[in-house]
Amino acid sequence: MKLKLSTLSYLVPSVLLIFGFSASLAQQPWVAPEKVAKMANPVKSDAESLDNGKSLWVTHCQSCHGKKGKGDGSKAAQLKTPVGDFTSADFQKQSDGSIFYKTSEGRTDMPSFKKKIPDADDIWSLVNYIRTLK
Amino acid sequence: MKASILNQKIKVPGLISLALILLLWNPVYSQEDSVAAPTAKASKPVKNMFSGIWLIDNQSAMVPIKGTFEFDILHRFGVVNNGYEDFFGLFASSNIRLGFNYSPIDRLYVGFGLTKYKMLWDVNAKYAIFQQTSDGRWPVSITYYGNAAIDTRSEEFFVHFSDRLSYFNQIIIARKITPKFSAQIAPSLSHTNVVNGYYSEPGVVSPERKHDHFAVAISGRYKLTETLSVLANYDQPITKHKSGNPHPNLSFGLDVTTSSHSFQLFFGNYYFLSPQQNNMYNANDYTKGQYLIGFNITRLWNF
Repeated sequence: MKLKLSTLSYLVPSVLLIFGFSASLAQQPWVAPEKVAKMANPVKSDAESLDNGKSLWVTHCQSCHGKKGKGDGSKAAQLKTPVGDFTSADFQKQSDGSIFYKTSEGRTDMPSFKKKIPDADDIWSLVNYIRTLK
Repeated sequence: MKASILNQKIKVPGLISLALILLLWNPVYSQEDSVAAPTAKASKPVKNMFSGIWLIDNQSAMVPIKGTFEFDILHRFGVVNNGYEDFFGLFASSNIRLGFNYSPIDRLYVGFGLTKYKMLWDVNAKYAIFQQTSDGRWPVSITYYGNAAIDTRSEEFFVHFSDRLSYFNQIIIARKITPKFSAQIAPSLSHTNVVNGYYSEPGVVSPERKHDHFAVAISGRYKLTETLSVLANYDQPITKHKSGNPHPNLSFGLDVTTSSHSFQLFFGNYYFLSPQQNNMYNANDYTKGQYLIGFNITRLWNF
């Protein structure tokens, strides 16, 4: 069977589009450096820390990650990378240090927060709050 | 009349003294405490005292964190009194200020701005002298704010270059009283190099008003949610002039804050968008309902 030029003209871009789009949607593994991942959370998860963490979550995280961390924030649909579900066991099995690292450093659509939240204890408080999103 | 002026002059130092007493009264300074807890963590400033540098027309005690670049758009419509004629001031002549500031180090920002009314350029700076700490070591924050402004309209309005200049200095004493409620009191001194004159006798020109003007502002913020707050503010002129005494300012508004933006929508009496202009020349009287609608939009970048 011969392929006509007109058929190729839409078939090739379609294939490229479909595979290209699928590739961009695939979540690349994101592994925190072992040294940071093993760091213990120095901030006790008490009421003060959780209040602080919640305030930071609402201000900086909620618009993408959603009110309950399910990845359904109002801006999530505009992002190229999947936001993820913080309530999932897969996410919560990460160490505190790993969540701290990812929050602090960022990657692609996820911004780095080490300049916006310069006090490391604040990011640890945010980690404490994220732990309540199970 | 003189008695009332005297009373006002006494009230303001009294309020400032009260704030200073609160500042100096501090049980953490006792030797017993410092010995008992030698390994205690360093004091940290309280967080989220205010959501931004603005409290409607006044500066808050807050200074952005180091490396923050901020762009402000401030807008004031006309007074609402004309009703439908100018759609409650929304279609009246408005005043606008575009401002930029940057925090090169912690506790300090420097900035500049341009205001439509009188084409007023200003340079300004704010420095947090003391910051309230969460452990009570410092019960209040004390911040200095100052600016210098130049009226850049055409030469016909001025005799000397120095006539274009005016200045503003303010000390802001603030406290986060509860996790949701913060308040501040801010005495200020405005100075203008030139004032209008009149012929007090043939050939003799006397100034209509003094070059310096004292005032005090009291402002508060109450958080309804993590991102939504209500704001209230009152400015009381202290100095009395021969004529053209400014009216006090009463304002209420809402503040919505996100990670990189702050939006404030409010109504009040101040129109000028320059603190020295507002404090010295406000002509809108809240007892006559001369309110106007305004908004502040702030965009933040962190470098």
